Amino acid sequence: MTLNDELLDRSPSPAGDGTSVPEPAGRILRGRRRGWKNVAGTLPFIAYLGVFLAVPAVSVIATAFQDGKGNLTLSNFNEAIHGVYLKSFIASIQLSFVAALVAVVVGLLAALAVSSTSNKIVRSLVTAGSGVFANTGGVPLAFSFVATVGNFGIVTKLLQSAGFDLYSHGFSLYSVTGLAIVYQYFLIPLMILIMLPPIQALRKEWVDASESLGASRSQFWRWIGIPLLAPPIFAAFIVLFTDAFAAYATAQALTSGTIPLVPIQLGALISGNVLAGQTNLGDALGAGMILIVVIAGLIYATIQRRTSKWLR
Amino acid sequence: MVTIAPDITSKPGSANNSSDVLRLGRPFRYIVLTLVGLFFIVPIVSSARFSFLGNHNSFTISAYTQLFGTAQFWSTLFLSAKVGVGTVFLTLLLLIPTVVWVHVRLPKLRRVFEAASLLPLVVPSVVVTLGVITSFRGLPNIIYGTPVILSLEYVVLALPFSYRALDSAVQSIDLKTLVEAGQSLGSGWIKLLRYVLLPNLRGGIIGASILTFAFCLGEFAVASLLSFTTFPVFLVQVGQLAASQAVALSLLALLFTWIPLAVITIVFSQRRAKRSTPVLDDLEIS
Repeated sequence: MTLNDELLDRSPSPAGDGTSVPEPAGRILRGRRRGWKNVAGTLPFIAYLGVFLAVPAVSVIATAFQDGKGNLTLSNFNEAIHGVYLKSFIASIQLSFVAALVAVVVGLLAALAVSSTSNKIVRSLVTAGSGVFANTGGVPLAFSFVATVGNFGIVTKLLQSAGFDLYSHGFSLYSVTGLAIVYQYFLIPLMILIMLPPIQALRKEWVDASESLGASRSQFWRWIGIPLLAPPIFAAFIVLFTDAFAAYATAQALTSGTIPLVPIQLGALISGNVLAGQTNLGDALGAGMILIVVIAGLIYATIQRRTSKWLR
Repeated sequence: MVTIAPDITSKPGSANNSSDVLRLGRPFRYIVLTLVGLFFIVPIVSSARFSFLGNHNSFTISAYTQLFGTAQFWSTLFLSAKVGVGTVFLTLLLLIPTVVWVHVRLPKLRRVFEAASLLPLVVPSVVVTLGVITSFRGLPNIIYGTPVILSLEYVVLALPFSYRALDSAVQSIDLKTLVEAGQSLGSGWIKLLRYVLLPNLRGGIIGASILTFAFCLGEFAVASLLSFTTFPVFLVQVGQLAASQAVALSLLALLFTWIPLAVITIVFSQRRAKRSTPVLDDLEIS
Protein backbone atom coordinates (compact mmCIF):
# COMPACT_ATOMS: atom_id res chain seq x y z
CA MET A 1 0.00 0.00 0.00
CA THR A 2 1.29 3.42 -0.84
CA LEU A 3 1.09 6.59 1.13
CA ASN A 4 -1.27 8.02 -1.48
CA ASP A 5 -3.73 5.22 -0.90
CA GLU A 6 -3.64 5.88 2.78
CA LEU A 7 -4.26 9.60 2.40
CA LEU A 8 -7.05 9.14 -0.10
CA ASP A 9 -8.79 6.64 2.13
CA ARG A 10 -9.21 9.23 4.83
CA SER A 11 -10.94 11.72 2.62
CA PRO A 12 -11.09 14.78 4.91
CA SER A 13 -7.37 14.74 5.52
CA PRO A 14 -6.22 15.54 9.06
CA ALA A 15 -3.96 18.19 7.64
CA GLY A 16 -7.12 20.02 6.69
CA ASP A 17 -5.51 22.03 3.92
CA GLY A 18 -7.79 20.52 1.31
CA THR A 19 -5.01 19.46 -1.02
CA SER A 20 -5.76 16.04 -2.41
CA VAL A 21 -3.25 14.03 -4.32
CA PRO A 22 -4.23 13.85 -8.00
CA GLU A 23 -4.85 10.32 -9.20
CA PRO A 24 -2.94 8.97 -12.16
CA ALA A 25 -5.25 8.55 -15.14
CA GLY A 26 -4.43 4.88 -15.58
CA ARG A 27 -5.63 4.02 -12.13
CA ILE A 28 -8.94 5.75 -12.63
CA LEU A 29 -9.60 3.76 -15.81
CA ARG A 30 -8.67 0.50 -14.18
CA GLY A 31 -10.88 1.49 -11.28
CA ARG A 32 -13.87 2.06 -13.57
CA ARG A 33 -13.57 -1.35 -15.15
CA ARG A 34 -13.28 -3.00 -11.74
CA GLY A 35 -16.04 -0.81 -10.38
CA TRP A 36 -18.99 -3.15 -10.74
CA LYS A 37 -17.16 -6.11 -9.32
CA ASN A 38 -16.19 -4.03 -6.33
CA VAL A 39 -19.75 -2.94 -5.64
CA ALA A 40 -21.05 -6.53 -5.83
CA GLY A 41 -20.14 -7.40 -2.25
CA THR A 42 -22.22 -4.57 -0.89
CA LEU A 43 -25.35 -5.50 -2.82
CA PRO A 44 -26.93 -7.53 0.02
CA PHE A 45 -26.66 -4.50 2.30
CA ILE A 46 -28.03 -2.12 -0.33
CA ALA A 47 -30.84 -4.53 -1.19
CA TYR A 48 -31.75 -4.94 2.49
CA LEU A 49 -31.94 -1.19 3.01
CA GLY A 50 -33.96 -0.96 -0.18
CA VAL A 51 -36.54 -3.53 0.85
CA PHE A 52 -36.93 -2.71 4.54
CA LEU A 53 -36.39 1.05 4.53
CA ALA A 54 -36.82 2.50 1.04
CA VAL A 55 -39.90 0.46 0.08
CA PRO A 56 -41.88 1.41 3.23
CA ALA A 57 -40.80 5.05 3.01
CA VAL A 58 -41.58 5.37 -0.69
CA SER A 59 -44.90 3.59 -0.29
CA VAL A 60 -45.92 6.11 2.39
CA ILE A 61 -45.00 9.02 0.16
CA ALA A 62 -46.69 7.48 -2.89
CA THR A 63 -49.87 6.60 -1.00
CA ALA A 64 -50.01 10.12 0.40
CA PHE A 65 -50.77 11.36 -3.12
CA GLN A 66 -53.59 8.87 -3.71
CA ASP A 67 -57.19 8.67 -2.64
CA GLY A 68 -58.89 5.49 -1.46
CA LYS A 69 -59.32 4.28 -5.04
CA GLY A 70 -55.75 4.94 -6.11
CA ASN A 71 -56.38 8.17 -8.04
CA LEU A 72 -53.88 10.99 -7.79
CA THR A 73 -54.97 13.68 -5.36
CA LEU A 74 -53.66 16.33 -3.01
CA SER A 75 -56.64 16.14 -0.67
CA ASN A 76 -54.72 14.10 1.94
CA PHE A 77 -52.26 16.93 2.30
CA ASN A 78 -55.07 19.43 2.36
CA GLU A 79 -56.48 17.57 5.33
CA ALA A 80 -53.05 17.14 6.94
CA ILE A 81 -52.42 20.87 7.05
CA HIS A 82 -55.79 21.86 8.50
CA GLY A 83 -57.54 21.63 11.82
CA VAL A 84 -56.24 19.27 14.46
CA TYR A 85 -53.47 17.95 12.20
CA LEU A 86 -52.09 21.41 11.52
CA LYS A 87 -52.18 21.99 15.27
CA SER A 88 -50.27 18.77 15.88
CA PHE A 89 -47.58 19.78 13.38
CA ILE A 90 -47.25 23.15 15.12
CA ALA A 91 -47.21 21.52 18.58
CA SER A 92 -44.61 18.95 17.50
CA ILE A 93 -42.35 21.58 15.99
CA GLN A 94 -42.73 23.86 19.02
CA LEU A 95 -42.00 21.01 21.43
CA SER A 96 -38.93 19.83 19.50
CA PHE A 97 -37.66 23.39 19.06
CA VAL A 98 -37.97 24.34 22.73
CA ALA A 99 -36.71 20.98 24.01
CA ALA A 100 -33.71 21.14 21.65
CA LEU A 101 -32.97 24.75 22.56
CA VAL A 102 -32.97 24.07 26.31
CA ALA A 103 -30.81 20.98 25.82
CA VAL A 104 -28.38 22.94 23.63
CA VAL A 105 -27.90 25.60 26.32
CA VAL A 106 -27.69 23.22 29.30
CA GLY A 107 -25.64 20.62 27.43
CA LEU A 108 -23.23 23.26 26.19
CA LEU A 109 -22.73 24.64 29.70
CA ALA A 110 -22.16 21.12 30.99
CA ALA A 111 -19.74 20.30 28.18
CA LEU A 112 -17.82 23.51 28.90
CA ALA A 113 -17.75 22.74 32.61
CA VAL A 114 -16.49 19.21 31.98
CA SER A 115 -13.85 20.39 29.52
CA SER A 116 -12.54 22.95 31.95
CA THR A 117 -12.02 20.50 34.78
CA SER A 118 -8.71 18.70 34.97
CA ASN A 119 -10.26 16.00 37.15
CA LYS A 120 -10.01 12.84 35.07
CA ILE A 121 -12.64 10.95 37.05
CA VAL A 122 -15.26 13.65 36.48
CA ARG A 123 -14.41 13.68 32.79
CA SER A 124 -14.73 9.96 32.20
CA LEU A 125 -17.80 9.75 34.44
CA VAL A 126 -19.59 12.42 32.39
CA THR A 127 -18.51 10.92 29.07
CA ALA A 128 -19.60 7.41 30.01
CA GLY A 129 -22.80 8.71 31.60
CA SER A 130 -23.65 10.73 28.51
CA GLY A 131 -23.09 7.73 26.26
CA VAL A 132 -25.48 5.71 28.37
CA PHE A 133 -28.20 8.30 28.98
CA ALA A 134 -28.26 9.48 25.36
CA ASN A 135 -29.51 6.01 24.47
CA THR A 136 -32.19 6.08 27.14
CA GLY A 137 -35.69 6.87 26.16
CA GLY A 138 -38.89 5.17 25.44
CA VAL A 139 -41.33 3.82 27.94
CA PRO A 140 -39.15 3.29 31.05
CA LEU A 141 -38.07 6.92 30.94
CA ALA A 142 -41.69 8.07 30.98
CA PHE A 143 -42.51 5.99 34.06
CA SER A 144 -39.44 7.06 35.99
CA PHE A 145 -40.58 10.65 35.55
CA VAL A 146 -44.09 9.69 36.63
CA ALA A 147 -42.49 8.38 39.81
CA THR A 148 -40.65 11.67 40.22
CA VAL A 149 -42.89 14.58 39.25
CA GLY A 150 -46.11 12.81 38.30
CA ASN A 151 -49.37 13.43 40.17
CA PHE A 152 -48.19 11.26 43.05
CA GLY A 153 -44.46 11.46 42.35
CA ILE A 154 -41.87 11.50 45.09
CA VAL A 155 -40.66 15.02 44.32
CA THR A 156 -44.22 16.29 43.88
CA LYS A 157 -45.11 15.00 47.34
CA LEU A 158 -41.92 16.35 48.90
CA LEU A 159 -42.69 19.80 47.50
CA GLN A 160 -46.28 19.50 48.70
CA SER A 161 -45.18 18.75 52.25
CA ALA A 162 -42.86 21.74 51.96
CA GLY A 163 -45.91 23.83 51.10
CA PHE A 164 -45.54 24.07 47.32
CA ASP A 165 -48.01 22.33 45.07
CA LEU A 166 -46.55 21.91 41.58
CA TYR A 167 -49.85 20.97 40.00
CA SER A 168 -51.78 23.94 41.38
CA HIS A 169 -49.13 26.20 39.87
CA GLY A 170 -49.95 25.17 36.33
CA PHE A 171 -47.33 22.44 35.99
CA SER A 172 -48.28 19.10 34.56
CA LEU A 173 -45.99 16.26 33.56
CA TYR A 174 -48.65 15.05 31.13
CA SER A 175 -48.38 18.11 28.90
CA VAL A 176 -46.12 19.49 26.18
CA THR A 177 -44.07 21.26 28.88
CA GLY A 178 -43.75 18.02 30.82
CA LEU A 179 -42.59 16.20 27.68
CA ALA A 180 -40.02 18.92 26.97
CA ILE A 181 -38.60 18.30 30.45
CA VAL A 182 -38.59 14.51 30.10
CA TYR A 183 -36.88 14.75 26.70
CA GLN A 184 -33.98 16.59 28.36
CA TYR A 185 -33.00 13.25 29.86
CA PHE A 186 -31.70 11.99 26.52
CA LEU A 187 -31.17 15.32 24.72
CA ILE A 188 -28.70 16.87 27.20
CA PRO A 189 -26.34 13.84 27.14
CA LEU A 190 -26.52 13.83 23.35
CA MET A 191 -25.55 17.52 23.30
CA ILE A 192 -22.62 16.84 25.65
CA LEU A 193 -21.43 13.98 23.44
CA ILE A 194 -21.61 16.12 20.31
CA MET A 195 -19.94 19.19 21.82
CA LEU A 196 -17.02 17.65 23.74
CA PRO A 197 -14.82 17.02 20.67
CA PRO A 198 -15.09 20.55 19.19
CA ILE A 199 -14.61 22.20 22.60
CA GLN A 200 -11.57 20.08 23.35
CA ALA A 201 -10.18 20.85 19.90
CA LEU A 202 -9.76 24.51 20.91
CA ARG A 203 -6.02 24.98 21.19
CA LYS A 204 -4.13 26.79 23.90
CA GLU A 205 -1.79 27.99 21.12
CA TRP A 206 -4.63 29.93 19.53
CA VAL A 207 -5.18 31.85 22.75
CA ASP A 208 -1.47 32.50 23.06
CA ALA A 209 -1.21 33.59 19.44
CA SER A 210 -4.14 35.97 19.79
CA GLU A 211 -2.71 37.33 23.04
CA SER A 212 0.69 37.95 21.50
CA LEU A 213 -1.09 39.92 18.80
CA GLY A 214 -2.62 42.03 21.54
CA ALA A 215 -6.11 40.56 21.71
CA SER A 216 -8.02 40.41 24.95
CA ARG A 217 -9.88 37.34 26.22
CA SER A 218 -13.22 38.63 25.03
CA GLN A 219 -11.72 39.47 21.66
CA PHE A 220 -10.43 35.92 21.42
CA TRP A 221 -13.93 34.58 21.98
CA ARG A 222 -15.54 37.17 19.73
CA TRP A 223 -13.32 36.49 16.71
CA ILE A 224 -12.03 32.93 17.20
CA GLY A 225 -13.74 30.88 19.87
CA ILE A 226 -17.40 31.55 19.13
CA PRO A 227 -17.05 31.46 15.31
CA LEU A 228 -15.39 28.05 15.67
CA LEU A 229 -17.99 26.65 18.05
CA ALA A 230 -21.08 28.13 16.37
CA PRO A 231 -21.35 25.61 13.48
CA PRO A 232 -21.16 22.52 15.73
CA ILE A 233 -23.69 24.11 18.08
CA PHE A 234 -26.15 24.70 15.22
CA ALA A 235 -25.55 21.20 13.88
CA ALA A 236 -26.15 19.76 17.33
CA PHE A 237 -29.37 21.74 17.61
CA ILE A 238 -30.65 20.12 14.44
CA VAL A 239 -29.74 16.63 15.60
CA LEU A 240 -31.57 17.22 18.89
CA PHE A 241 -34.56 18.73 17.11
CA THR A 242 -34.90 15.69 14.86
CA ASP A 243 -34.49 13.32 17.78
CA ALA A 244 -37.27 15.05 19.72
CA PHE A 245 -39.48 15.39 16.64
CA ALA A 246 -39.48 11.67 15.86
CA ALA A 247 -39.86 10.47 19.48
CA TYR A 248 -43.04 8.46 19.97
CA ALA A 249 -42.72 5.99 22.84
CA THR A 250 -42.16 8.44 25.69
CA ALA A 251 -45.01 10.71 24.63
CA GLN A 252 -47.41 7.82 24.07
CA ALA A 253 -46.60 6.17 27.42
CA LEU A 254 -46.78 9.44 29.34
CA THR A 255 -49.96 10.89 27.88
CA SER A 256 -51.76 7.75 26.62
CA GLY A 257 -52.05 9.45 23.26
CA THR A 258 -54.09 12.41 24.48
CA ILE A 259 -51.54 15.01 23.42
CA PRO A 260 -51.76 16.32 19.85
CA LEU A 261 -48.32 15.60 18.37
CA VAL A 262 -47.74 14.35 14.84
CA PRO A 263 -46.26 10.94 15.77
CA ILE A 264 -49.11 10.39 18.26
CA GLN A 265 -51.79 11.35 15.71
CA LEU A 266 -50.16 9.10 13.15
CA GLY A 267 -50.01 6.27 15.68
CA ALA A 268 -53.71 6.71 16.41
CA LEU A 269 -54.51 6.56 12.68
CA ILE A 270 -52.45 3.36 12.34
CA SER A 271 -54.12 1.76 15.36
CA GLY A 272 -57.39 2.07 13.55
CA ASN A 273 -58.98 5.24 14.85
CA VAL A 274 -59.69 6.26 11.28
CA LEU A 275 -62.71 8.29 10.28
CA ALA A 276 -64.40 7.65 6.96
CA GLY A 277 -62.74 9.41 4.06
CA GLN A 278 -59.38 9.58 5.80
CA THR A 279 -57.89 6.39 4.39
CA ASN A 280 -54.59 7.84 3.30
CA LEU A 281 -54.39 10.76 5.69
CA GLY A 282 -51.80 8.92 7.79
CA ASP A 283 -49.53 8.65 4.77
CA ALA A 284 -49.74 12.40 4.25
CA LEU A 285 -48.76 12.96 7.91
CA GLY A 286 -45.90 10.50 7.46
CA ALA A 287 -44.74 12.23 4.29
CA GLY A 288 -44.88 15.54 6.16
CA MET A 289 -42.68 14.12 8.93
CA ILE A 290 -40.16 12.81 6.42
CA LEU A 291 -40.11 16.22 4.71
CA ILE A 292 -39.34 18.04 7.96
CA VAL A 293 -36.58 15.60 8.91
CA VAL A 294 -35.07 15.81 5.41
CA ILE A 295 -35.00 19.61 5.55
CA ALA A 296 -33.28 19.40 8.95
CA GLY A 297 -30.83 16.86 7.53
CA LEU A 298 -29.94 19.10 4.59
CA ILE A 299 -29.22 22.02 6.91
CA TYR A 300 -27.14 19.68 9.07
CA ALA A 301 -25.10 18.43 6.10
CA THR A 302 -24.39 22.00 4.97
CA ILE A 303 -23.13 22.98 8.41
CA GLN A 304 -21.13 19.78 8.82
CA ARG A 305 -19.26 20.42 5.60
CA ARG A 306 -18.06 23.70 7.03
CA THR A 307 -17.16 22.26 10.43
CA SER A 308 -15.23 19.20 9.31
CA LYS A 309 -12.65 21.45 7.67
CA TRP A 310 -11.00 22.24 10.98
CA LEU A 311 -12.29 19.66 13.42
CA ARG A 312 -10.22 16.49 13.16
CA MET B 1 -26.69 33.46 23.67
CA VAL B 2 -24.29 31.99 26.19
CA THR B 3 -21.47 33.80 27.90
CA ILE B 4 -18.63 31.36 27.74
CA ALA B 5 -15.87 33.09 29.62
CA PRO B 6 -17.00 34.67 32.88
CA ASP B 7 -13.61 36.27 33.56
CA ILE B 8 -14.50 37.37 37.06
CA THR B 9 -14.73 33.87 38.39
CA SER B 10 -11.60 32.52 36.80
CA LYS B 11 -8.33 32.07 38.61
CA PRO B 12 -5.55 32.62 36.09
CA GLY B 13 -2.79 30.05 35.89
CA SER B 14 -4.56 27.30 37.77
CA ALA B 15 -5.45 24.85 35.02
CA ASN B 16 -4.22 23.21 31.84
CA ASN B 17 -5.23 21.86 28.37
CA SER B 18 -8.69 22.90 27.17
CA SER B 19 -9.36 24.09 30.70
CA ASP B 20 -6.75 26.75 30.01
CA VAL B 21 -8.61 27.94 26.93
CA LEU B 22 -11.93 28.08 28.72
CA ARG B 23 -10.80 29.45 32.09
CA LEU B 24 -14.06 28.69 33.83
CA GLY B 25 -14.02 29.14 37.56
CA ARG B 26 -14.54 26.38 40.06
CA PRO B 27 -17.93 27.69 41.30
CA PHE B 28 -19.30 27.71 37.76
CA ARG B 29 -18.14 24.14 37.15
CA TYR B 30 -19.46 22.82 40.43
CA ILE B 31 -22.84 24.50 40.10
CA VAL B 32 -23.40 23.36 36.51
CA LEU B 33 -22.24 19.79 37.01
CA THR B 34 -24.13 19.38 40.30
CA LEU B 35 -27.40 20.66 38.88
CA VAL B 36 -27.15 18.57 35.72
CA GLY B 37 -26.07 15.55 37.77
CA LEU B 38 -29.08 15.97 40.06
CA PHE B 39 -31.42 16.07 37.08
CA PHE B 40 -30.17 12.64 36.07
CA ILE B 41 -29.99 11.05 39.51
CA VAL B 42 -33.24 12.29 41.09
CA PRO B 43 -35.59 10.37 38.73
CA ILE B 44 -33.67 7.14 39.38
CA VAL B 45 -33.73 7.58 43.14
CA SER B 46 -37.40 8.59 43.02
CA SER B 47 -38.23 5.53 40.92
CA ALA B 48 -36.52 3.27 43.41
CA ARG B 49 -38.33 4.93 46.32
CA PHE B 50 -41.67 4.86 44.46
CA SER B 51 -41.38 1.18 43.58
CA PHE B 52 -40.89 0.21 47.25
CA LEU B 53 -43.74 2.41 48.47
CA GLY B 54 -46.58 0.57 50.20
CA ASN B 55 -49.73 1.84 51.84
CA HIS B 56 -49.18 4.68 54.33
CA ASN B 57 -45.55 5.16 53.28
CA SER B 58 -44.57 1.68 54.37
CA PHE B 59 -41.76 -0.25 52.71
CA THR B 60 -42.77 -3.15 50.51
CA ILE B 61 -41.34 -5.27 47.74
CA SER B 62 -44.77 -6.41 46.60
CA ALA B 63 -44.49 -4.54 43.30
CA TYR B 64 -41.54 -6.74 42.39
CA THR B 65 -42.93 -10.01 43.70
CA GLN B 66 -46.22 -9.45 41.88
CA LEU B 67 -44.38 -8.70 38.66
CA PHE B 68 -42.20 -11.77 38.83
CA GLY B 69 -45.30 -13.82 39.50
CA THR B 70 -47.00 -12.58 36.33
CA ALA B 71 -46.78 -15.01 33.46
CA GLN B 72 -46.97 -12.20 30.94
CA PHE B 73 -43.87 -10.57 32.40
CA TRP B 74 -41.81 -13.61 31.50
CA SER B 75 -43.49 -14.30 28.17
CA THR B 76 -43.08 -10.73 26.89
CA LEU B 77 -39.51 -10.56 28.12
CA PHE B 78 -38.84 -13.84 26.34
CA LEU B 79 -40.45 -12.55 23.14
CA SER B 80 -38.34 -9.38 23.22
CA ALA B 81 -35.21 -11.40 23.89
CA LYS B 82 -36.04 -13.71 20.99
CA VAL B 83 -36.57 -10.77 18.65
CA GLY B 84 -33.34 -9.26 19.98
CA VAL B 85 -31.28 -12.38 19.34
CA GLY B 86 -32.72 -12.73 15.85
CA THR B 87 -31.97 -9.09 15.11
CA VAL B 88 -28.40 -9.33 16.40
CA PHE B 89 -27.81 -12.45 14.30
CA LEU B 90 -29.21 -10.84 11.13
CA THR B 91 -27.30 -7.62 11.80
CA LEU B 92 -23.95 -9.38 12.12
CA LEU B 93 -24.66 -11.56 9.11
CA LEU B 94 -25.43 -8.51 7.00
CA LEU B 95 -22.96 -5.99 8.36
CA ILE B 96 -19.67 -7.83 8.98
CA PRO B 97 -19.19 -8.79 5.30
CA THR B 98 -20.42 -5.37 4.17
CA VAL B 99 -18.16 -3.34 6.44
CA VAL B 100 -15.13 -5.50 5.68
CA TRP B 101 -15.86 -5.34 1.94
CA VAL B 102 -16.20 -1.57 2.00
CA HIS B 103 -12.89 -1.17 3.80
CA VAL B 104 -11.00 -3.53 1.53
CA ARG B 105 -12.52 -2.88 -1.87
CA LEU B 106 -14.25 0.48 -1.69
CA PRO B 107 -12.29 2.52 0.88
CA LYS B 108 -13.16 5.72 -0.93
CA LEU B 109 -16.85 5.08 -0.40
CA ARG B 110 -16.46 4.48 3.33
CA ARG B 111 -18.07 7.77 4.23
CA VAL B 112 -20.90 7.15 1.76
CA PHE B 113 -21.78 3.87 3.45
CA GLU B 114 -21.46 5.43 6.87
CA ALA B 115 -23.93 8.08 5.73
CA ALA B 116 -26.23 5.40 4.33
CA SER B 117 -26.26 3.72 7.72
CA LEU B 118 -27.71 6.94 9.15
CA LEU B 119 -30.61 6.95 6.67
CA PRO B 120 -33.00 5.24 9.11
CA LEU B 121 -32.84 8.42 11.18
CA VAL B 122 -34.54 10.24 8.32
CA VAL B 123 -37.67 8.10 8.51
CA PRO B 124 -39.25 8.20 11.99
CA SER B 125 -40.11 4.70 13.22
CA VAL B 126 -43.84 5.53 13.29
CA VAL B 127 -43.63 6.29 9.58
CA VAL B 128 -41.64 3.10 8.90
CA THR B 129 -44.42 1.16 10.62
CA LEU B 130 -47.06 2.74 8.45
CA GLY B 131 -44.98 1.92 5.38
CA VAL B 132 -44.54 -1.67 6.53
CA ILE B 133 -48.30 -2.02 6.90
CA THR B 134 -49.08 -0.57 3.48
CA SER B 135 -46.34 -2.32 1.54
CA PHE B 136 -45.92 -5.73 3.25
CA ARG B 137 -49.55 -6.56 3.99
CA GLY B 138 -49.56 -8.93 1.05
CA LEU B 139 -46.57 -10.96 2.21
CA PRO B 140 -47.01 -14.51 3.54
CA ASN B 141 -48.27 -14.61 7.09
CA ILE B 142 -45.11 -16.24 8.40
CA ILE B 143 -43.25 -12.97 7.79
CA TYR B 144 -45.81 -10.24 8.25
CA GLY B 145 -47.98 -11.90 10.89
CA THR B 146 -45.20 -13.01 13.23
CA PRO B 147 -42.52 -11.15 15.20
CA VAL B 148 -40.12 -12.02 12.36
CA ILE B 149 -41.13 -8.73 10.78
CA LEU B 150 -39.95 -6.96 13.96
CA SER B 151 -36.48 -8.47 13.67
CA LEU B 152 -36.33 -7.63 9.98
CA GLU B 153 -37.19 -3.98 10.64
CA TYR B 154 -35.08 -3.64 13.81
CA VAL B 155 -31.98 -4.51 11.77
CA VAL B 156 -32.66 -1.34 9.80
CA LEU B 157 -33.71 0.84 12.72
CA ALA B 158 -30.66 -0.10 14.83
CA LEU B 159 -28.33 0.44 11.88
CA PRO B 160 -27.10 3.89 12.97
CA PHE B 161 -25.69 2.30 16.14
CA SER B 162 -24.59 -1.11 14.89
CA TYR B 163 -22.91 0.05 11.68
CA ARG B 164 -20.91 2.71 13.46
CA ALA B 165 -19.68 0.28 16.11
CA LEU B 166 -18.46 -2.22 13.50
CA ASP B 167 -17.10 0.45 11.21
CA SER B 168 -14.94 2.00 13.93
CA ALA B 169 -13.70 -1.46 14.95
CA VAL B 170 -12.64 -2.23 11.38
CA GLN B 171 -11.11 1.22 11.09
CA SER B 172 -8.97 0.63 14.17
CA ILE B 173 -7.21 -2.43 12.74
CA ASP B 174 -5.01 -2.49 9.67
CA LEU B 175 -7.51 -4.52 7.71
CA LYS B 176 -5.91 -4.27 4.30
CA THR B 177 -2.56 -5.59 5.47
CA LEU B 178 -4.21 -8.41 7.41
CA VAL B 179 -6.29 -9.44 4.41
CA GLU B 180 -3.32 -9.26 2.04
CA ALA B 181 -1.15 -11.21 4.45
CA GLY B 182 -3.83 -13.88 4.80
CA GLN B 183 -4.35 -14.10 1.07
CA SER B 184 -0.65 -14.37 0.35
CA LEU B 185 -0.56 -17.32 2.73
CA GLY B 186 -3.27 -18.90 0.64
CA SER B 187 -6.42 -18.56 2.73
CA GLY B 188 -9.79 -17.89 1.17
CA TRP B 189 -12.42 -15.48 2.45
CA ILE B 190 -14.04 -17.99 4.80
CA LYS B 191 -10.74 -18.83 6.49
CA LEU B 192 -9.83 -15.15 6.63
CA LEU B 193 -13.11 -14.36 8.31
CA ARG B 194 -12.84 -17.21 10.78
CA TYR B 195 -9.19 -16.92 11.80
CA VAL B 196 -8.23 -13.32 11.11
CA LEU B 197 -11.19 -10.96 10.99
CA LEU B 198 -13.55 -12.25 13.68
CA PRO B 199 -10.88 -12.47 16.42
CA ASN B 200 -9.59 -9.01 15.55
CA LEU B 201 -13.04 -7.47 15.42
CA ARG B 202 -14.32 -9.10 18.60
CA GLY B 203 -14.70 -5.81 20.47
CA GLY B 204 -16.66 -4.16 17.70
CA ILE B 205 -18.87 -7.20 17.23
CA ILE B 206 -19.70 -7.35 20.92
CA GLY B 207 -20.35 -3.59 20.96
CA ALA B 208 -22.66 -3.75 17.96
CA SER B 209 -24.47 -6.74 19.43
CA ILE B 210 -25.10 -5.08 22.78
CA LEU B 211 -26.31 -1.84 21.19
CA THR B 212 -28.63 -3.74 18.85
CA PHE B 213 -29.97 -6.01 21.60
CA ALA B 214 -30.58 -3.05 23.91
CA PHE B 215 -32.43 -1.30 21.09
CA CYS B 216 -34.67 -4.34 20.56
CA LEU B 217 -35.49 -4.67 24.25
CA GLY B 218 -36.59 -1.04 24.41
CA GLU B 219 -38.32 -0.53 21.06
CA PHE B 220 -41.97 0.41 21.50
CA ALA B 221 -43.36 2.22 18.45
CA VAL B 222 -43.11 -0.48 15.79
CA ALA B 223 -44.03 -3.35 18.13
CA SER B 224 -47.10 -1.66 19.60
CA LEU B 225 -48.40 -0.36 16.27
CA LEU B 226 -48.01 -3.79 14.68
CA SER B 227 -49.84 -5.24 17.73
CA PHE B 228 -47.08 -7.41 19.14
CA THR B 229 -46.97 -7.50 22.93
CA THR B 230 -43.26 -7.16 23.47
CA PHE B 231 -41.73 -6.18 26.79
CA PRO B 232 -42.15 -2.37 26.42
CA VAL B 233 -45.73 -2.83 25.19
CA PHE B 234 -46.46 -4.95 28.27
CA LEU B 235 -44.86 -2.21 30.38
CA VAL B 236 -47.33 0.37 29.06
CA GLN B 237 -50.24 -2.00 29.76
CA VAL B 238 -49.00 -2.45 33.33
CA GLY B 239 -48.69 1.31 33.66
CA GLN B 240 -52.39 1.76 33.01
CA LEU B 241 -53.26 -0.60 35.89
CA ALA B 242 -50.55 -0.51 38.54
CA ALA B 243 -48.24 2.50 38.69
CA SER B 244 -45.79 1.10 41.24
CA GLN B 245 -45.32 -2.09 39.26
CA ALA B 246 -44.72 -0.11 36.08
CA VAL B 247 -42.15 2.04 37.84
CA ALA B 248 -40.42 -1.02 39.29
CA LEU B 249 -40.34 -2.60 35.86
CA SER B 250 -39.00 0.60 34.29
CA LEU B 251 -36.24 0.81 36.84
CA LEU B 252 -35.20 -2.76 36.09
CA ALA B 253 -35.35 -2.11 32.35
CA LEU B 254 -33.23 1.03 32.68
CA LEU B 255 -30.61 -0.66 34.84
CA PHE B 256 -30.41 -3.66 32.55
CA THR B 257 -29.78 -1.47 29.51
CA TRP B 258 -27.47 0.96 31.30
CA ILE B 259 -25.00 -1.54 32.67
CA PRO B 260 -23.95 -3.11 29.34
CA LEU B 261 -24.07 0.30 27.64
CA ALA B 262 -21.78 1.72 30.31
CA VAL B 263 -19.36 -1.13 29.83
CA ILE B 264 -19.08 -0.67 26.07
CA THR B 265 -18.91 3.14 26.38
CA ILE B 266 -15.94 2.84 28.73
CA VAL B 267 -14.23 0.19 26.61
CA PHE B 268 -14.72 2.19 23.41
CA SER B 269 -13.53 5.48 24.88
CA GLN B 270 -10.40 3.80 26.22
CA ARG B 271 -9.66 2.34 22.83
CA ARG B 272 -10.15 5.71 21.19
CA ALA B 273 -7.86 7.36 23.74
CA LYS B 274 -5.22 4.74 23.06
CA ARG B 275 -5.47 5.30 19.31
CA SER B 276 -5.55 9.06 19.27
CA THR B 277 -2.27 9.74 21.09
CA PRO B 278 0.43 9.60 18.41
CA VAL B 279 -0.62 11.22 15.17
CA LEU B 280 2.23 9.51 13.36
CA ASP B 281 0.68 6.10 14.00
CA ASP B 282 -1.64 6.65 11.09
CA LEU B 283 1.19 7.08 8.62
CA GLU B 284 3.44 4.37 9.97
CA ILE B 285 1.68 1.64 8.02
CA SER B 286 2.85 2.82 4.63
